Amino acid sequence: GSTGSIGAAACKNNVTSFQRKGPRASGTDSGCSRLVSIAGTRPSVRNGQLLVSTGLPALDQLLGGGLAVGTVLLIEEDKYNTYSSLLFKFFLAEGIINGHTLLVASAKEDPADILQELPAPLLDDNCKKDFDEDVCNHKTPDSNIKMKIAWRYQLLPKMESGPVSSSRFGHYYDASKRMPQELIEESKWHGFFFPEKLSSTLTTEPRSLTGGYRKLLQFIQNVIYEEGFDGSNPQKKQKNILRIGIQNLGSPLWGDDICCTENCDNSHSLTKFLYVLRGLLRTSLSACIITMPTHLIQNKAVISRVTNLSDTVVGLESFTGSGRETNPLYKDYHGLIHIRQIPRLNNLIYDVSDVKDLAFKLKRKLFTIERLHLPPDLSDTVSRSSKQDLAGSSKLLGPGCGMMAGGKQHLDF
Amino acid sequence: MESVVAQAGLVLLRDSVEWEGRSLLKALIKKSALCGERVHILGCEVSEDEFREGFDASVNSRLIYHDVFRDPLNWSQSGEALPGGPLGALQAMCRRTDPGPVTIALDSLSWLLLHLPCPALCQALCALSQQHSCPGGGSPAEPVRVLCLLHEELHGPGPLGALSSLAQAEVILSGTMGQASAHILSRRPQQHPTRQTQWFSILPDLSLDLQGGPPLESQPHPEPHTPPVSKGAGARTRECGGGVRDSSHEQRKHPLDLQVDPTAHMTFNLHLSESERAAKDSLTLPFQFSSEKQQALLRPGPRQATGRIFYEPDAYDDLDQEDPDDDLDV
Repeated sequence: GSTGSIGAAACKNNVTSFQRKGPRASGTDSGCSRLVSIAGTRPSVRNGQLLVSTGLPALDQLLGGGLAVGTVLLIEEDKYNTYSSLLFKFFLAEGIINGHTLLVASAKEDPADILQELPAPLLDDNCKKDFDEDVCNHKTPDSNIKMKIAWRYQLLPKMESGPVSSSRFGHYYDASKRMPQELIEESKWHGFFFPEKLSSTLTTEPRSLTGGYRKLLQFIQNVIYEEGFDGSNPQKKQKNILRIGIQNLGSPLWGDDICCTENCDNSHSLTKFLYVLRGLLRTSLSACIITMPTHLIQNKAVISRVTNLSDTVVGLESFTGSGRETNPLYKDYHGLIHIRQIPRLNNLIYDVSDVKDLAFKLKRKLFTIERLHLPPDLSDTVSRSSKQDLAGSSKLLGPGCGMMAGGKQHLDF
Repeated sequence: MESVVAQAGLVLLRDSVEWEGRSLLKALIKKSALCGERVHILGCEVSEDEFREGFDASVNSRLIYHDVFRDPLNWSQSGEALPGGPLGALQAMCRRTDPGPVTIALDSLSWLLLHLPCPALCQALCALSQQHSCPGGGSPAEPVRVLCLLHEELHGPGPLGALSSLAQAEVILSGTMGQASAHILSRRPQQHPTRQTQWFSILPDLSLDLQGGPPLESQPHPEPHTPPVSKGAGARTRECGGGVRDSSHEQRKHPLDLQVDPTAHMTFNLHLSESERAAKDSLTLPFQFSSEKQQALLRPGPRQATGRIFYEPDAYDDLDQEDPDDDLDV
């Protein structure tokens, strides 16, 4: 009857006197849950912060689950920019796989070319086989002999686990293959190539040093506003993440002389840019990766300011060309990775892992991050000398060092 | 060396007072001119006549010379000076429309660095070396090679680092005992950087003579440019003063064969023979949980002579179970 239809209509519109007050309470679709599930994101297990994957599951694990939406990941480039550009591409490839919108900004390469060079994802049925293959090749007889006495160390968990077929959060990529063209074409991306945006006549004075940065910020702001990543477009049905990638920020190709001199005139343009960028990111559903050639920046104070203005800072140091390439300690690895800063978002404590010595290597298909040294064994079973022995030896060492040549009575051990 | 320097992109020739690079630059220009490429030269440091000497007529006719040396600030107000100064000349070269491979030589980049702001120069160089499409559009990328002469003693680490990060190949000139060497670092995109050292000499007709290895004289004579040091260290400096630039470590002969073998004069034996190695491998360690031990524990046999502990507490033992730390010296 009529009551039934009215009742049904009321249920459909979900109009009750008890309304949950929230930013999406007045949305067109009846918000059944507050946490809108966006593809490729997951809430952090610690504080519920929305996370996206950086494209490298090992790095996600080190950062506490992933990169928080609305934050900046700054990568300090290695000397020849081989591995940092690889991390940059992993980030963008992850965005394409998850269907996120991309914004690629560069002053050196055309963004279309960057997208053509993205690595191909490892599909679930193949990747586990390849990973096992890699692990088997890696276990040489030498490592088996090493673990004969210290076999308990084999039971320690490894830094990163293999590709899990059911995981939809982080994906593995094959750096030797290109991403299929159809995936790139059906993705949505915006490109910012700085030499094109410069006016056609280059004047002798670089067109106000913040010019390049200002244009980039305006571009990002336009994309965020027009595509509705900051919630300004309420008709938008499906929320999505904007992944911003900025390559080689701070290099002279952006018009910034921070890498050329120590006392530059506009030393604040880069820091202003980062400050405004962070403001834009915090008010929108976006995540940003920036690679910066910090090894070229002459003024160390600028580097520390830049680190403070970014949220997560990861430094890469490759062994190519340095003396460490032949060091036997580093022979299995291609470089060191330093986690310089992890943000405190809605939190009072840091989420730092206890491992500080991390090294990376680029295997045939995988980029792995491993511990370089095992921590010392501080368990109860370690034999410790008793207090009497310690006291006795300290007595001996005190005057004994100076009088070694003299009396023989201190030499009995 | 040919393949490395022949690739497209920005090639930096870093020279110094002891090992000058202009002759190498001219040799490379001559090589490209003889290959039929078009060569543009931006001359800033020496006059055109001085630059052109040494080239024969066929090469000279292929060189297109843009002279900045005569009138860098355009004071003579005549139509010969380049419009827009040296930066304008660089941009004009960016916008050329003729097809075919082109080599552009900048003599020298140091002069340009001292007169132009570094970021603008970097942007112009990047635009020069990465010409992807003609203004007409549609044609594939043509190889453009930009050879730049850079006097590295004139600049600080900042500009040098910035330019090195842009370059596809860097050639650092050094040498020993009158023989020049080029330490080449090539950074191709998507590939790992490679290094090699090439010994060479320039013949009077500006052709490049590549040599296999370092010169064979074993008697290093003192370098005239070595600064005077204190008498104590004088002998040592003279001995290793043969290589002036010691930043290039990549010598062909690694000094591994000169290293002393540490196991030569020991009083004990560190080596294992085959039988000893086999015996060591088959030894079961006391705490290793091997399968035999596992089987023995799972199935206790009737004649199991496992060690059993018979303990008789004496007067000093405290059998108080509640305080386990009582017998420690803490």
